[in-house]
Amino acid sequence: MAKMAGLGCEPVVGSLAPSKKREYRVTNRLQEGKRPIYAVVFNFVDSRYFNVFATVGGNRVTVYQCLEGGVIAVLQSYIDEDKDESFYTVSWACNIDGTPFLVAGGINGIIRVIDAGNEKIHKSFVGHGDSINEIRTQALKPSLVVSASKDESVRLWNVHTGICILIFAGAGGHRNEVLSVDFHPSDMYRIASCGMDNTVKIWSMKEFWTYVEKSFTWTDLPSKFPTKYVQFPTFIASVHSNYVDCNRWLGDFLLSKSVDNEIVLWEPKMKEQSPGEGSVDILQKYPVPECDIWFIKFSCDFHFNAAAIGNREGKIYVWELQSSPPVLIARLSHIQSKSPIRQTAMSFDGSTILSCCEDGTIWRWDTVATS
Amino acid sequence: MMVSKSSDSASKLRKSHAEQASDEFGNLTQKIQQLKKQIQADRVLSIREKLEENRKKLEGHVSLLVSGAFSRNSISVVEANSQGEMLSSRIENPFCKINGFAQGSGDKEQINIQEVLFSTSAKLPYIEKIPPYTTWIFLDRNQRMAEDQSVVGRRRIYYDPHGSEALICSDSEEEIAEPEEEKHEFSEGEDRILWMTFKEYGLNEEVLNIISQYIGGTTSEIQERCYMLKEKNQEKHDQDFNGDEENGSEKNNLLERSLSAALDSFDNLFCRRCLVFDCRLHGCSQSPIYSNEKHSYSSESDEDGKPCSDQCYLRLKFVQDLPESSVVNTLHRPESKSSDEAVRTPVLPSSEEAVMHYEMGKRKVQKCTNTEPDSLVLASDDVQGSSKKQKSLSAQKTDSMVCEGFLNVDSSSNTEVGDIEFETGYKNELLMPNKDAEHLLYESASDKFRCPVDVPRPGLEDRVIYEAKGISHGTEVPVLKESTNFVEGQVEAVLNNSEWKPFEKELYLKGIEMFGRNRLFSCLIARNLLSGLKTCIEVSSYMYNDSAALPCGAIDLPSSFSEDNNKVDAEFMERETPTRSRLIRRRGRTRKLKYSWKSAGHPSMWKRIAGGKNQSCKQYKPCGCQPMCGKQCPCLHNGTCCEKYCGCSKSCKNRFRGCHCAKSQCRSRQCPCFAAGRECDPDVCRNCWVSCGDGSLGEPPRQGDGQCGNMRLLLRQQQRILLAKSEVAGWGAFLKNPVNKNDYLGEYTGELISHREADKRGKIYDRANSSFLFDLNDQYVLDAYRKGDKLKFANHSSNPNCYAKVMLVAGDHRVGIFAKEHIEASEELFYDYRYGPDQAPAWARKPEDSKRDDSSISQGRAKKHQSH
Repeated sequence: MAKMAGLGCEPVVGSLAPSKKREYRVTNRLQEGKRPIYAVVFNFVDSRYFNVFATVGGNRVTVYQCLEGGVIAVLQSYIDEDKDESFYTVSWACNIDGTPFLVAGGINGIIRVIDAGNEKIHKSFVGHGDSINEIRTQALKPSLVVSASKDESVRLWNVHTGICILIFAGAGGHRNEVLSVDFHPSDMYRIASCGMDNTVKIWSMKEFWTYVEKSFTWTDLPSKFPTKYVQFPTFIASVHSNYVDCNRWLGDFLLSKSVDNEIVLWEPKMKEQSPGEGSVDILQKYPVPECDIWFIKFSCDFHFNAAAIGNREGKIYVWELQSSPPVLIARLSHIQSKSPIRQTAMSFDGSTILSCCEDGTIWRWDTVATS
Repeated sequence: MMVSKSSDSASKLRKSHAEQASDEFGNLTQKIQQLKKQIQADRVLSIREKLEENRKKLEGHVSLLVSGAFSRNSISVVEANSQGEMLSSRIENPFCKINGFAQGSGDKEQINIQEVLFSTSAKLPYIEKIPPYTTWIFLDRNQRMAEDQSVVGRRRIYYDPHGSEALICSDSEEEIAEPEEEKHEFSEGEDRILWMTFKEYGLNEEVLNIISQYIGGTTSEIQERCYMLKEKNQEKHDQDFNGDEENGSEKNNLLERSLSAALDSFDNLFCRRCLVFDCRLHGCSQSPIYSNEKHSYSSESDEDGKPCSDQCYLRLKFVQDLPESSVVNTLHRPESKSSDEAVRTPVLPSSEEAVMHYEMGKRKVQKCTNTEPDSLVLASDDVQGSSKKQKSLSAQKTDSMVCEGFLNVDSSSNTEVGDIEFETGYKNELLMPNKDAEHLLYESASDKFRCPVDVPRPGLEDRVIYEAKGISHGTEVPVLKESTNFVEGQVEAVLNNSEWKPFEKELYLKGIEMFGRNRLFSCLIARNLLSGLKTCIEVSSYMYNDSAALPCGAIDLPSSFSEDNNKVDAEFMERETPTRSRLIRRRGRTRKLKYSWKSAGHPSMWKRIAGGKNQSCKQYKPCGCQPMCGKQCPCLHNGTCCEKYCGCSKSCKNRFRGCHCAKSQCRSRQCPCFAAGRECDPDVCRNCWVSCGDGSLGEPPRQGDGQCGNMRLLLRQQQRILLAKSEVAGWGAFLKNPVNKNDYLGEYTGELISHREADKRGKIYDRANSSFLFDLNDQYVLDAYRKGDKLKFANHSSNPNCYAKVMLVAGDHRVGIFAKEHIEASEELFYDYRYGPDQAPAWARKPEDSKRDDSSISQGRAKKHQSH
């Protein structure tokens, strides 16, 4: 599905001149060991924990809380007994009774479901054939998570029952590592995934929804569940010409990035009657200088008003997502922040931004009242 | 070059008023620029609107999510005992608090790093990880690669797994696809500019050049696009005009469409080899091969003569005809009737009658000294039809022949397969032991049943012949004589004719083609093809009417008809002769086929095979030679045998004729199929049949019950394979139950890819250090990387317990894995990737072959696909 190009199809490109709409300042800086920290994420699942966040790096999963005045409290810490584990991703989820879960995965390919409410492992999912690059939670049903793996598949899991419900791979699947995956904010059936085959694929699990429902009531062994393969995506987009390492839904549009120093907002124009066909309409571009390496992910606040992304040199760009043309809310930089930023996390209202870096540091930035 | 009228006049204008013209074009550029700006502004606006709309929708969704997040809060509050509240309690009592800078610090201020110290950490217990693999899809049969799965010509970007960020683009220059002549795609906005310019300025070269400057694309592209737009607008205009008229007709759309259009998908999507739609193995749009040996439909199911429904034509006739017909059952033809009608008289296949005939014993079927040619034909054809001895009869001089046939009907029903004896002037030829006759029928002649009269009779109309042929089933059945019936029928037919839609007519014709033109078959045609559309009576009467109305030869019959029959006759002869000569011929071929063994079991050898001497394992493609394969036969050229899927006749010299093994169960080289690296085919081999077991359903037929032992891939008589961590490396395949030497374990399935594709994929797999390529034949390589079965995980060993063998199964090469020795339950399976079957019969190990084996380069991990 090619991009639409030519006169009248041009995207609106955001200007890099900061609007100074908001100003962020560093309020804390932590060092968490020496190993790179690949993921940081706020809890958006449970309102009680909106200021709680988790990080993963090396074989460690850590839970913190952002308090007033730049204070960060250390709440929980989990360590994998396998020293060679290197977690790449973490996501908040919860049990059906609301117990908060942390779901982490990494180089070992084992998904760890941690029961943060009881501070112990809940389940471990063995099944992926290789490392796990991203895990995301279905916000409407937070016991469902999807995982993107180097084994070229995306899998849907029920963390409550420990069932692998669906595997998105096969004839129409990714042809190289899957790097990122995301649930549609309102359409529960839809997910988008992207990876090293330079494509973004949109999948529908509508026809398989009975299996999703079945997974909640399954009482037999999880391994006996009739896991289904979803082999054909409903849409394949060639928006980028290199690895696509992060994609997120923005309503019915998609945000995705490659190694081209920009985030792209585009509309998948599907043809109702013929799945697999359609075109891509690139609407907007959000430039991010010095962002030409892969495995740099962006994050949005709860309301999708803004996205924050780090770059190779330790700087953060905060873009207003839904204005046209895009507005650069702020450019965050600090003289001591030089290491590549792998992931950022924006708090519920966007007032706090966290970044985690290759050198094992975690930075906290807070808005300051602009007079 | 096409020049439109307006541009013509424009250029004239320019000549006479040069200045004015240049002004005009200056005007044009201005206009284009203006429009361009307008379009771009519109675009910006439309994006803004889109985003705004999206934002509103999203706002609604987010508010849902917010309420979800808050409700989760309340759920757990309700359920909150002391359990599951550790996180909340940690919030009350954190491990430690790390102070920040309340005011924040600016860009330049130095800030301290605060180390997070973990006093206590909860342990995540060690879990053994599984060996890596790429997610793969189970395939129970090989599948041809879909076009979009090709990696050829695609850029692939690698990253260095050790050195973090380095991106390595595709490694060899040949992989970089030639930048294609980019065709300009016109956007909507560009169309607008084009249309505006076209309308106002026409299309001359200068205009085209100007547009090209602003939009891009070559002038010819622009011109083409303009004409397209013009057409489109015209159409749109037309549509607006008569937009309402086209509704309403959709209902009958299906029936109005021609059958050929409907059959198109059948022709394109149906695989005649696998009898499935959308065959993944042989692909779509296979050029259909028409066998020149038509199979006739033996109307067994209808032999009982019971009406198929209330609307059956039999019901109509049955009642009226029975009294008459049971009495008058000789074939006396009413002289008064016109010949056409007589021939086309419906026949009545009634079991009662058959029984009656039986009772009558020897019965003089016919004694006619009729001078009317058609009745003669009818008579002789009847005999032909039921006796299958066309040959002998065809020798008769029919024109003035007096045929006295005494037919001994010994069958309890009207089946054409009966014990039939003849007494004619050609008695010697015709008299045959009943069993032989039957055998002949079963073996080969049933498909000739419908073959028309072979000897053209001078002075006869083709149609008559056809009709006679149609009737040939019903030798004993008396000709009915009630003209009233015909009148009725005709009236009916005329009435119905008007209602027959083209689609139905075509379906009907298809039915005739399939079953034959005989009112006997109207039940079948109605039921199978026109179900729900027409009743049996309607079909029957339509057939009557249709036959009367149709000109001669309305039904297409192969032009090679008479030839065909001659050949059939020849085949008759051949079949009766002992098969020795065939065997000898086949032995002559095996040398070639022997070599095909050598390609077995060697994933990395294909390149050498493709590049060099061993060209023997050839992909089979059915030929369509009619009627016989000549020197031009593609099979012959390709070095493959003709198979049952070929269009050529069974007597084709290039055919593989299967085996006649009876007791050997085809498990040794005694069996020609086995020796040729082929599985037996129940359609071809004489004694290799498939039984349904001992009557207990669901139980697969056991081996060794006198059944052919060389159809194991075909019948999927495989062992249960288990997948587990290998004792050697990565994953391994294990056996669930013990097996004996040479037992079939299972098939190595995968994607069928070209050698070129395999070359490219091999390079990619080299990087991943895992390859599942397996050379199949000169055309294909099996790749089990993303699609395959568990046997793909069987590891290499130089001292293996299994071997792989490429077998030709129903025209397709397939890879079977066999036990090299007795293997105990739950043992891991290994086979030698490199050398193929070491245990191959001695004849296969020719000096040249062993030399070739020696030359193979040893490699560390044998599974790796070898690259240059």
